[in-house]
Amino acid sequence: MNRMRRLPLPPLLLLALLAPHLAGCGAREEPQQGGPAGDGTPQRGGTVVTGWTTEPLGINDLIFPTTAVGSEVHFRVFQHLVEEQPDFAEHPATFKPQLAESWEWSDDHKVLTFHLRKNLVWSDGVPLTAEDVRWSWQAQVHPAVAWDSAYMKEHIRDVEVVDPQTVRFHFTRVYAKQLLDANEGLILPKHAWSRLPFEKWRENGTWFFENRLAAGPFRIESWTAQQEMVLVRNERYWEKERPYLDRVVLRFVPDASSLTTQLLNGEIDFIAQVSPADAKRVRERPELQVIPFWSNLFVAVAWNHSRPLFADAEVRRALTLAIDRRSIVETLWPGGTGRVGISPLLQSVWAHDKTLQPWPYDPAEARKILAARGWKDGDGDGLLDRGGKKFSFELLSNAGNQARNDAAVMIQQQLRQVGIEATPRILEFNTLVADTRSGHFDAAITGATIDTSLDLSGNFHSRSIQDGDNFFRYSSPALDRLLDEAAGQKNIADAAPLLHQIEHQLHRDQPVTFLWESQRLAAINRRVHDARPNLQSAFFHLQDWWVSPRP
Amino acid sequence: MGLPPALTGGPRGDPSVAGFLLRRLTASFLLLFAVATGVFFLVHAAPGDPTDVFEGQRINREQRETLRHLYGLDRPLGEQYLRWLAALAQGELGLSLAQQRPVATILAEAFPATLLLATGAIAVEFGIALLLGIAAARRPGGYADQTIRLGSLVFVSQPPFWIALMLVLLFAHLWPVLPASHMRSVDADLLSPAGRAWDLLRHLLLPSLALGLYNAGSTLRFVRGSVIEVMGTDYIRAARARGLSERRVLWVHGLRNALTPLIQLFALSFPQLLNGALLTEIIFAWPGLGRATFAAVLSRDYPLILGLTLFSAFVVILGNLLADLLQAAADPRVRRHA
Repeated sequence: MNRMRRLPLPPLLLLALLAPHLAGCGAREEPQQGGPAGDGTPQRGGTVVTGWTTEPLGINDLIFPTTAVGSEVHFRVFQHLVEEQPDFAEHPATFKPQLAESWEWSDDHKVLTFHLRKNLVWSDGVPLTAEDVRWSWQAQVHPAVAWDSAYMKEHIRDVEVVDPQTVRFHFTRVYAKQLLDANEGLILPKHAWSRLPFEKWRENGTWFFENRLAAGPFRIESWTAQQEMVLVRNERYWEKERPYLDRVVLRFVPDASSLTTQLLNGEIDFIAQVSPADAKRVRERPELQVIPFWSNLFVAVAWNHSRPLFADAEVRRALTLAIDRRSIVETLWPGGTGRVGISPLLQSVWAHDKTLQPWPYDPAEARKILAARGWKDGDGDGLLDRGGKKFSFELLSNAGNQARNDAAVMIQQQLRQVGIEATPRILEFNTLVADTRSGHFDAAITGATIDTSLDLSGNFHSRSIQDGDNFFRYSSPALDRLLDEAAGQKNIADAAPLLHQIEHQLHRDQPVTFLWESQRLAAINRRVHDARPNLQSAFFHLQDWWVSPRP
Repeated sequence: MGLPPALTGGPRGDPSVAGFLLRRLTASFLLLFAVATGVFFLVHAAPGDPTDVFEGQRINREQRETLRHLYGLDRPLGEQYLRWLAALAQGELGLSLAQQRPVATILAEAFPATLLLATGAIAVEFGIALLLGIAAARRPGGYADQTIRLGSLVFVSQPPFWIALMLVLLFAHLWPVLPASHMRSVDADLLSPAGRAWDLLRHLLLPSLALGLYNAGSTLRFVRGSVIEVMGTDYIRAARARGLSERRVLWVHGLRNALTPLIQLFALSFPQLLNGALLTEIIFAWPGLGRATFAAVLSRDYPLILGLTLFSAFVVILGNLLADLLQAAADPRVRRHA
C-alpha cells in the first residue's frame, strides 16, 4: 500500500522544480559598467524583456499588414529619413534628422532634397546610400508588392539619386503632407533584397528573415514563432554610444491577464498597453509604474446613412443627445483614463477647436427632435414609430472588445428611455468588417485612428465610400470641399481654420456619434530608465533605454 | 466507443486482421476526405476573406484584386477546391497567406510543442488516475474512496481554462515558484543541456497540470470502477482461494484485466489532447497547434486553417485506429477472435 500512496514525483524533485533559482529564470545578464543604480547615469549593457499579446507577421513590412508590434520591431531595425516627434499637442508635429541629416524644399515646393548622413552602413558593413532610398520607393509603389500604404506615394513622380548622399523627391503637386508622404516607409537594403524580384516577394515572407539586415539601433538575433523575438545591439548603428541595452526580448503572450501576471512577477519589464483594471494592480507595486498617454483612436457609433432611419442629421443628433456618454466613459474608463469624444480631431491634437463642447446628455431634447420628425409612440408600447414602422435597429460591436460590448448594452438601455430599440449584436471582428464594408448593417461601434497629417478624407470624404473607411456612407459636398482644401495647404499650420470648420460641420451633422477618446497605459519596471512610450511608438527611442542592475 | 465486429468476433466479421485493417484504412481515408471537403467550403463560406485583414490599412481596390489574383481567390470556388485537392495529393499544403511561409513549416514548428504538452497532460492524467483510482478501489465506500471520489468530482466539474487560471494564480502569482508561460526562460540558451531540460520541465508543469487534472477526474473514476468490477469476478475469487497474497491477486491478476480498457482510453485521449489544448495554449503562451489555429482563423488564413484542420482530423482518425489495434494486441480474447 505504501507504494501506492507515494506522490507522482518524489518530493525532493518536486521541491527542486519549484525552486526558481535552480532553473535560471531571472538569471539575466546585467550591466557590467557605469555608476551605481539610481544615480541617473545611463549604463551600458543588460536585457529588457517586453511582453506583447500579438506577434509580428514578418520583417519586411511592405508585404505584411501593419501591426503595432510589427512596427515596433521594424522601426528599431530599419529607419526613416526623418523622425516625426510626438509633440503635436500645441503645434504641428516637428521632425528630427534620422538617416537624413538635413532636407530642403525647392522654391515651388515640388522638389524635396534629403542629405543623408555620411557614416551610414548596413549591419553587414555595406554603405547605406541614396540608391537604397530610391529602390525602397520603387518597392513601395510596385503593384506586385501591393504595400498597404502605397497610396501615400501617389503624388510622388520620381525619386532621383543625385549622389550617394543626396536624394530628391519630385512631387506632382503641392499639399500639406508632402514631407509625411516622402518619409512614409522604411529605407530597405537594396544590395541584399533586390536579389529577389518584386513579383516573388509576396510568396517568400521567410526569405527576408533569412536575409535580414539592419540600419537601426538593433538587429534581429532570433525569432521563435509563437514564443519570442530577440533584438540585439547593432554595432554598426550610426548614433555613437547607442544603444545602451545589449538585448531587448519580445515575448509573445496571447492572454493579456497572463501578461500582467508576468509583469507583476518580474518576468517581464515592459508592456505597451494594460487595461485600466490591470493598471490599478500595477500601481500598487512600488517597483512598477504606469505611463499614460492619450491614444490616437476615437471610438464612435457609426450610423449607416444609406438606411432611411439614419439619413437625417437631426435624427442622428437626437441619438447623440439620448446617449449618456459621460456615464459610459466614467464606467468604462475610470480614473480619468477616458473622456467624451467630440470630434475626430482629438482633444490631444493642436488643431482641435477647444471651444467646441460635446453635445450634452439631454433625452428630453432628443424626444422633442424625434417628435418633430414624426417619431411618436402611436400604439403605446413604449417604442417610437412612424408610418407603422418602429424605431428599431441592430447595434454591432466586435467580440473580444469588452469596452465596446459593454457600451452597446448601456446604449441599448439609454435609447430605450426615449423609445428607441437598439439590439446589441456581437460579431467576430472579420465578420463585422465584412458586414460594415458591404453596407449590411444599421449601426456599429467602431474605432478609427488619425495620424498627424490630420487628413480626415479617409473617413469622411464621399470618395472614401468606395475606396476607404467611410463605410457608413456619409456624403456632404460641402465637407468634401473643406477636406480637399485643408489637404491642399502647403503648410499644415495654415489649415487650422479649415480644420475648425470641418470639426463644426461634423459636430452639426453627427455622421457618427463620438463616444470616447481613451488613454493608453504602458506599464514598466522602474529598473528600466529613460523609456518614453508615446503615441508614435511604445519603443520610442529604444536606443536610449537603460537598466540598472538588479538588487 | 464500441469495438468493431471484426475484433469482437461478430457473426459477419471478417476474420482476418489484414481485411479489418484494409477496411479501417479505407474508411479513415474517406472520412479524412470528407472532413477536408467540409472544412474547405465552410471556411470559404465565413464572411470576409484574407484580403480583409488589409482593409483597415486602406489598400485600394486595384491592390486588393492584385492580392486576390495572387492568392487564387478570384477563381471560382470549385476550381479553388480542385486546385487545393490536386496540391494536397502531391503532399503540398500550400502557403500561409498571413505569414507567407509554408503551412507544413508552421505545422512542423507547432506540433512538437503540442505533442510535448499532450504527453505531459497524459502523464498527469494517467499517473493520478491510476494511483488514486486503484487506491479508491481497494476499499470501496471507505474513507479514502469517498475523499478521492469527491476530489475527482471537483476537477471534473471545472473546465481546463479555469483550472489553468487558478494554477497561474496559485503558483505564478500568489506563490511565484513556476513560470506562467512559454516553453523556456529568457536566458535558457546560457544554461547547460541539463539545465535547459530542467527549465523546460518547469515550464511544462503548469500547462500539463491544467490539462491533465481535468481529465484525471473522469479517468480516475473509470479506473476505480473497472478495478472494483474485476476484483469481484470468479477468477479473482479463485485466485484468493488458492491462497495467493492480496497484493499478488491485485497486481498480477486483477489489474491486467481491469486496465485493458484503459489502453483504448489512452489512445483516444491523446488526439483529443492534441486538438483540445487551444485555451490552455493561449493562457500559457504555449507555442502549439491550438494557438496557431486560433491566429489562422482570426486572419482568415485559408491554407493554414485547412492544413491545421486536416492534420487534426488525421490525428484523431489515427488515434481511433491505434486504439482498436492496441486493444486487439492487449486483450487475448480479441486476438483469438481476430
